[in-house]
Amino acid sequence: MPNSKPKSPFSGKMERKDNQSPQGEVAGILVEFLEVAITSVVYLKGIYPSGAFERRRYMNVVVKRARHPQLREYIHSAVSGLLPSIQKGLVERVAVTFFNTDNIPMERFIFKLMVNQSFGSKVEESDLEFSLRSFLIKLSVSQSLTTVLPRDCRWEIMAYFRSLPQVSTSKDAEMWIPTDTKQWQQPPLITPIKSMNSEPLGLQLYLEHPSPAEQVSG
Amino acid sequence: MANDRLQACPEQSSSSVSSRCFDNHGIRGSPTSTVIGPSKHRHSTLGDPNFVENYFKNSRLHFIGTWRNRYRNRFPSLSNGFTKSHSNVSAGTQKTPIIHIDMDCFFVSVVIRSHPELNDKPVAVCHSDNPKGTAEISSANYPARDYGIKAGMFVRDAKSLCPQLVILPYNFESYEEVADQFYNILHKHCNRVQAVSCDEAFLDVTDLEGKDPQLLASAVRKEISEATGCTASAGIAENMLMARLATRTAKPNGQCYIHPERVDEYLDQLPIKVLPGIGHGLAEKLKNKNVRTCGELRLISKDSLQKYFGIKTGEMLWNYSRGMDNRLVGMIQESKSVGAEVNWGVRFRDLQHAQHFLLDLCKEVSLRLQGCGVQGRTFTLKIKKRRKDAGEPAKFMGCGDCENLSHSTTVPLATDDIEVLQRISKQLFGSFHIDVKDIRGVGLQVSRLESADTSRQAPERNSLKSWLMSASASSKQQFDINRIAKECVDSEGKSVGGNSGVLRIASVENSVHETNNAPNGEGGSNQSSSVPPLCHLDMGVVENLPSELLSELNEIYDGKLVELITKRKVQGDKSTGSACFFPPEPAQVEEAERSRNSASVSLRRTALEMKGTQHILEELRMVPDSEARPDSVAISTAGLENNDLVPSSLSQVDTSVLQQLPEELRADIFEALPAHRMPEGTALGPRTDNMHPPLGIKTATDNQPGSTDSGLSNNLWIGDPPLWVDKFKVSKLSTLNFFVDMYYKANSAESLSSILQCIIAESLHPLNARCDAWNEAIHSFSELLMNYIKLKIVVDIEEIYVCFRLLRRLSTKSQFFLEVYNLVFPHLQASVDENYSGTLHIPPIK
Repeated sequence: MPNSKPKSPFSGKMERKDNQSPQGEVAGILVEFLEVAITSVVYLKGIYPSGAFERRRYMNVVVKRARHPQLREYIHSAVSGLLPSIQKGLVERVAVTFFNTDNIPMERFIFKLMVNQSFGSKVEESDLEFSLRSFLIKLSVSQSLTTVLPRDCRWEIMAYFRSLPQVSTSKDAEMWIPTDTKQWQQPPLITPIKSMNSEPLGLQLYLEHPSPAEQVSG
Repeated sequence: MANDRLQACPEQSSSSVSSRCFDNHGIRGSPTSTVIGPSKHRHSTLGDPNFVENYFKNSRLHFIGTWRNRYRNRFPSLSNGFTKSHSNVSAGTQKTPIIHIDMDCFFVSVVIRSHPELNDKPVAVCHSDNPKGTAEISSANYPARDYGIKAGMFVRDAKSLCPQLVILPYNFESYEEVADQFYNILHKHCNRVQAVSCDEAFLDVTDLEGKDPQLLASAVRKEISEATGCTASAGIAENMLMARLATRTAKPNGQCYIHPERVDEYLDQLPIKVLPGIGHGLAEKLKNKNVRTCGELRLISKDSLQKYFGIKTGEMLWNYSRGMDNRLVGMIQESKSVGAEVNWGVRFRDLQHAQHFLLDLCKEVSLRLQGCGVQGRTFTLKIKKRRKDAGEPAKFMGCGDCENLSHSTTVPLATDDIEVLQRISKQLFGSFHIDVKDIRGVGLQVSRLESADTSRQAPERNSLKSWLMSASASSKQQFDINRIAKECVDSEGKSVGGNSGVLRIASVENSVHETNNAPNGEGGSNQSSSVPPLCHLDMGVVENLPSELLSELNEIYDGKLVELITKRKVQGDKSTGSACFFPPEPAQVEEAERSRNSASVSLRRTALEMKGTQHILEELRMVPDSEARPDSVAISTAGLENNDLVPSSLSQVDTSVLQQLPEELRADIFEALPAHRMPEGTALGPRTDNMHPPLGIKTATDNQPGSTDSGLSNNLWIGDPPLWVDKFKVSKLSTLNFFVDMYYKANSAESLSSILQCIIAESLHPLNARCDAWNEAIHSFSELLMNYIKLKIVVDIEEIYVCFRLLRRLSTKSQFFLEVYNLVFPHLQASVDENYSGTLHIPPIK
């Protein structure tokens, strides 16, 4: 667990230092947002009973928040552990993957991140929030795009790094372990959900489903 | 006689229970008759279909709560009477004598007037006199208080303290009568009266110079006693706080003057709990800081107090502990919320039973709102839910140990309408998901109040009718336009409704009321509340309404609506083939030209350049377009004011949501929203990258890795307008010219998807017939597409996805697009695979 963890997005706005770089500021907002968005994804997929979530308002949108401390902590620590790497632009994708009982991935929600490292001006936070809000709204109506999962699904958060972070430089990265998750053999089918670009942040959310050719191996 | 009691000694502590204190207790009247004796009425919602009505008829709190209205109606000019300047004068004067006057144990005294033999006996008022009962004492006289009997005590406990205690029922008629007499006397002596409650008031006697306030107080008290047979106590001091504290000392049947110089002395040992505004919680917090008296409180600095308790409370504590109070008599605090709550006798059999109760509660709240002359926007439904392990409550039919749950919703237009209230509370009730058998109490609170006078301008039954009105208003304007535009009859422009369609999906609000109202808050306010004539209804909208709504509407129109729809359907089928053409009236065109934005210049130039067979067609399309534009601008900005989630341009509409909408609705949205954001929208709508025309594209291009490694240049999309527009414009190929038109029709959109949407909305386009240089056109457009893929694939796969879904739809209608689609599709998938290691999944068209 990271030592200096940012406050949970649900408990109020994170305090940001004035002398932060635009990348640092964006990374902070993004990490906060990812925690909410991933919770929304998990809620959307109905992995847990809906009673395991409670209504909250974030960026003026009604979202869900996990009630169970363990679930909340998993999501929170996973994404906040990414903060330094996101800030440095090392994280390419964050995936929320749902597996069936044979540990075969059934569906993946991919957040593709781009933090422009050469961006130097001030971040328009309101612009950013407006764009991110559209993600949350879109996500909440995207159920029809997703597949129906079998019972007893498992899920996990994965991050794809452009290059692996140095263990020594960041304590937070220690929580992240190389994954040996089963991968699809065929290129997956992609269904975009939302894309945005609000300098210095580019963020896209899309779905990955196994291609029809994959079924043989499953 | 009153003079003897002047300057009553502060140490003389009387019981601190004044009748006002009872307000905090959850004492509820049950249905009883005014006859002494156990009530024969039904005791819960189970047995009494009119429970809510009876409940409030017999509730003392209800009496107090609604009393102010009665007072206002009786003394309309007086109750909010003093002019500002007047008050300021009194604020300036150093010595402002204030008299606080309070009837002595009002609820008991009034009742025992007719029982003189009880004068010295312990008496309490309660709705039930069952000696073993769990009814709560509402008010006790001083002899009873000597036995330790207090308000809020169960009758059985009181009886055990004092077996000879006489218990009498309420007599609301007498209370009203005495309260009226009380205020008549006060208003006779003083023209500045602030009513606190039915038995308590402040008098500002600054104006009555030359009159000793103490003499005045005793005169008033004497008169009250003679007129009502009940005694009152008075406190006189230089401000409201001290006057009130003085009354406390003066009780019962006395008066007390606190000289300004003796304020500190008086307060020094005074327990802080006695100060108004210090409740249990605050007192407890102060106790933890070892503060029990005002003297101790004075030792804490204002800064620390404000730090601990907040700016306002801190300041209040600081002031009050010094006997300072700058409130002015007559500044009546408007209540912040109006509501009704029933926490006694609530037991439901089933859902229907609970719903019935809820409707009655709404009726009560609606009446109270109307009584206060206010309307509210926020509705909070509170429910007391029996705790799982809670047994039957100690108090008969009481609520017992409960969880307090509440849900609330806010609507854009303030209302006091009973039907709206009922609909909202039904919805709120549904959101609790609760077993009705566990419900022990229900309350409905309305806040964000507005004066009914100002909100009356809005239609009274606002939702459906005004919604219809504004829809018809806009459709009237667009009616001619659409005829000219040869639009399919079904897709008649309906801007406001179109907005609401998007809104409904985009905003995750749980209130139907809001969705109905939000877009027309502006437009609806000038409308009268009558039903619009049948001919003004936008049939495109009406036909798309859910069937329940339609039948409801149909009833309003005596069944003519359905008739009309059937007739229209028949006509519509005939007329789709032959569109009628009305030449635009010169005046309209002129106006349209004036209100056009910058795009108008190039647009008209384009129109002029049109030659040959295309000419008439183009003109047909251009003219209505230029007319429609100002409309949609106005509408979209109006929408923005109401809800920042309303997209102000097509580029912000989520296309995949859009695609789920019915065809007609979608066409309406295209009509309603300008394809590109208007500058007026920037205040509320944060910008997206689409906002910066040439810039955004350039940045995107720069970011793109390996943008030079292909034979295709992606500079077709650079510039404003993009290069391809100029290129296609000068082309001899009418197909390419058509895209330029669509570009402008989409209001110079930067996104291809907006342009494609315009093409889809265009029911008539020239791309069906194989024309000259077919292949060349296909090639040019495909190149444009591939450029676009290259431009967007890295940063915005969503846009690509939307474009190809639109193209796929177009390909079913047009050979041209089919060929383009087939040509570009492999290229698309290669790009997707390269960047996302996958295949873009374009769902088949149903």
